[in-house]
Amino acid sequence: MKVIGQVGIFFAICLAGEFLSALLPLPVPGSILALAILFALLLCGALKPAHIGEKSDFLLQNMAFFFLPAGVGILEQASLLWENLIPLLVVCAVSTVATFGASAGTVKLVLYLQRRARHE
Amino acid sequence: MNEAWEQATASPMFGIALSIAMFSLGTFASRKIRSPLVNPLLIGIAFTILFLQLTGIPLENYQQGGDVISLFLGPATAALALSIYRQLEALKKNLLPVLCGCLAGCLASMGSVLLLCRLFGLDKALTASLLPKSVTTPIAMELSRQAGGVVPITVAMVVVTGILGAVTAPLLLRLFRVKDPIAAGVGLGACSHAVGTAKALELGEMEGAMSGISLSLSGILTVFLSFLYPLFL
Repeated sequence: MKVIGQVGIFFAICLAGEFLSALLPLPVPGSILALAILFALLLCGALKPAHIGEKSDFLLQNMAFFFLPAGVGILEQASLLWENLIPLLVVCAVSTVATFGASAGTVKLVLYLQRRARHE
Repeated sequence: MNEAWEQATASPMFGIALSIAMFSLGTFASRKIRSPLVNPLLIGIAFTILFLQLTGIPLENYQQGGDVISLFLGPATAALALSIYRQLEALKKNLLPVLCGCLAGCLASMGSVLLLCRLFGLDKALTASLLPKSVTTPIAMELSRQAGGVVPITVAMVVVTGILGAVTAPLLLRLFRVKDPIAAGVGLGACSHAVGTAKALELGEMEGAMSGISLSLSGILTVFLSFLYPLFL
């Protein structure tokens, strides 16, 4: 019963997310709105982590599994993938390095500036 | 006999059972061979495709069950809220550097993908599929779909990006001279989402927590940045 209740909370929040998504003029996915709603409920204390812990951990720990069917869908797009394989891989590789450099570099810079400001 | 087999594989049970079996195989392999290259999801996808190809069972049959599994992507995305909430204290202490780092990472990811796609002359659909590839799969999938991308290509590229970041992490840390655990965690989470976070956890607890925050925050920032996609596509 405990887990059923948690599953119920999750689907209700997701339903609310879908509803909001249909209402909003901007293209925000329902699942992201559900994340925002759940976070707000946790922040204001309406929901305690204990209320949804088991279901959340089940979802978070098995996250990768839920993507498997979406990945298998590549079968339908196989020719598109093979035709563009090299560009796709190069884009991935270069942008991964750029993203890491930009984010880690920025954190280093901001931390350095904060420390210097504190010493002055 | 043949007819019974055909009926059975057309039921949703087939896709669910096959997915779980192949994912378990992938998990087993990744425990035996401890390398980020052996990713359970990647192996699971590859074996499922191989099985379907060898048996000649049509993809539509598999997707009956596959769609049931995909149903959990929404709740799984929402569950990220709890993982951010659990790291709230660490986030509060380092709000400014983490926020700036994630924003810079998202901008760099979007900018570099756009630039390279133009350079290679990739079309709109492929560019839209690649734009959100540095963030966690449920968010990337939705953003790609909304921008007119090819969702399976996005899923594949998100996984490849995650693995790339995790495998090259030691190299990246040296290349950019990153010694600070906050910078390392944020960087890995921003460029390689959950796979990067798993690697960050290996580096240390602080790295892992920061990476978890960064993966969630980058996902949300990318949602906001995605409002700009129509300007470039």
